[in-house]
Amino acid sequence: MTTTPSWLYSLFGLIMLGVAAYSLVLLVSSVATRRPLGWDVDVSHLFMGLSMAGMFVAKWAFGASNVWELIFSVLLIWFLVRSLQSIQRWGRHLPHFLIHALMSFAMLLMYRFPMAASTGALSMSTRGSRLDPGLSFVLAFVLFASAIFTLASPNKGASHHGTHAPALAMSARAGSEMAGSRSGEEITPVAGVERLLATPRLEDASHVVMCVAMGFMLILML
Amino acid sequence: MSITETRVSRPPVAPARAAVSPKTQSPPPRDLQRTFQLVLATVWLLDAVLQLQPLMFTPGSNGLSGMMRGVASGNPSWVADTIRWNASLVAHHPVSTNTPFALIQFLIGFGIVSKRTLKPALGLSIVWALGVWWFGEGSGGVFLGGATPFGGGPGGVLFYAVLAVLLWPREGSDKPFVAARAVGVKAAKAIWVAVWALLALLAVVGSGRSPQALHDLVARMDSGQPGWLARIDLSSASFFLHHGTAAAIVLAVVSLIAAAGIFLPAPITQATLVLAIAVFAVIWVAVQNFGGILAGGATDPNSGPLVILLALTYWPLANNRATASDVAMAPAFAVQER
Repeated sequence: MTTTPSWLYSLFGLIMLGVAAYSLVLLVSSVATRRPLGWDVDVSHLFMGLSMAGMFVAKWAFGASNVWELIFSVLLIWFLVRSLQSIQRWGRHLPHFLIHALMSFAMLLMYRFPMAASTGALSMSTRGSRLDPGLSFVLAFVLFASAIFTLASPNKGASHHGTHAPALAMSARAGSEMAGSRSGEEITPVAGVERLLATPRLEDASHVVMCVAMGFMLILML
Repeated sequence: MSITETRVSRPPVAPARAAVSPKTQSPPPRDLQRTFQLVLATVWLLDAVLQLQPLMFTPGSNGLSGMMRGVASGNPSWVADTIRWNASLVAHHPVSTNTPFALIQFLIGFGIVSKRTLKPALGLSIVWALGVWWFGEGSGGVFLGGATPFGGGPGGVLFYAVLAVLLWPREGSDKPFVAARAVGVKAAKAIWVAVWALLALLAVVGSGRSPQALHDLVARMDSGQPGWLARIDLSSASFFLHHGTAAAIVLAVVSLIAAAGIFLPAPITQATLVLAIAVFAVIWVAVQNFGGILAGGATDPNSGPLVILLALTYWPLANNRATASDVAMAPAFAVQER
């Protein structure tokens, strides 16, 4: 009989709720200030944070699995379309939306192939078939690599806005004039909360935490 | 009080897009040594998360301490006693020992990411790797005569230490290969020869050339693997049972070719590196079973990917320019670095 200290799952669950709360604030701020880029990542992190908190701590789980599957299917399609659009717009490159598509795919798999309760996350029950451990491992490794390379990247905020988006310069730390001059954008006033929370480093940190937690969940599914 | 921000609208005219196409906008490629450091950091992060698996917190023979006791058996008593002492510590305090184990690996992984903490993290990784090699891998089975490279001998975790040395940050993009930057060309080549000569030796000494031992090595891994890998295992085990000695000799010859290849002209060096990489990729899948990760309960991916990373650090660089574009392995999610 294997045992994992419950505080570990509670810790991951709390961190996931923290990411969800942070994403919600960013999202509200985006709507309020009509910030056009990164909101889809905020939406996905919000849903992922809430659902993964429920995976780590059973009593925090809510919503039917089918609904979550639908949400992550829509997000998967959304980010794949955004990836194609990015390639069309910027030519051959690997769009940052792909990692968010992969994360949505991983979430979808977690709901399609829930693990046995004894092996890991407390809230998931066995539904029958098991996700191929090879796929779990590959997804987890890609997520860990994304976490590491995101942290090491000098393009802070790229996890939310990509490397091509002029919105990189949208945060308070970056030069808005540069972004405006690069692709003809407007400059509008926004609230101070945006400057406080939408810093590229915080956005990257939320992505890194999400990658590590999701990778952990995938490892638990082995 | 308000501040200003940009609101992005569509670029006004198409030519503006072309003007900022990735090709024209891309900064110089990431330094190749840095890319390898980050790949190593990724493996450390994987190890850290593997350390958080439920099995690692489980007391008794079914947990981490049980795994440790398992590697102690067969070793000389002066080795086995130290391993058993450590295993006993872990058995009595699984949470308070395993949690720091995981945290140290998180520290190493994330420490490598920051240039300020890179050197301490690499230094810590060497110390930690040596400790794990002794206490966790039972010295890789070297003292048992069973440290075949097929199974990860002389100990997969030792390659973390070797890589930490060879990827130690140092300027010098004019070196013929990345590993030479940290320790110089001569020392790097000496390390390379020592590693591959050892692999060649371990392939043919002790139980490493025994068909039955090699068969059992694979058969032991079979439990809990997914169906497709179990089927590969069946073939590998059967192959070893019939051609185990020949396979060991071939591995030794390949290792010697790899060792010598570094002294030959660049195209031949590349060919020998490709050979070594291909052989260890096959071993990693068909014999090491990805370090047993897919069956759950593994603490690292074994030697396969690390040997491959090691080989890549010796890849001859075109025009002696150590950039990520020289080796087509920069991960897709890597963001270009200025």
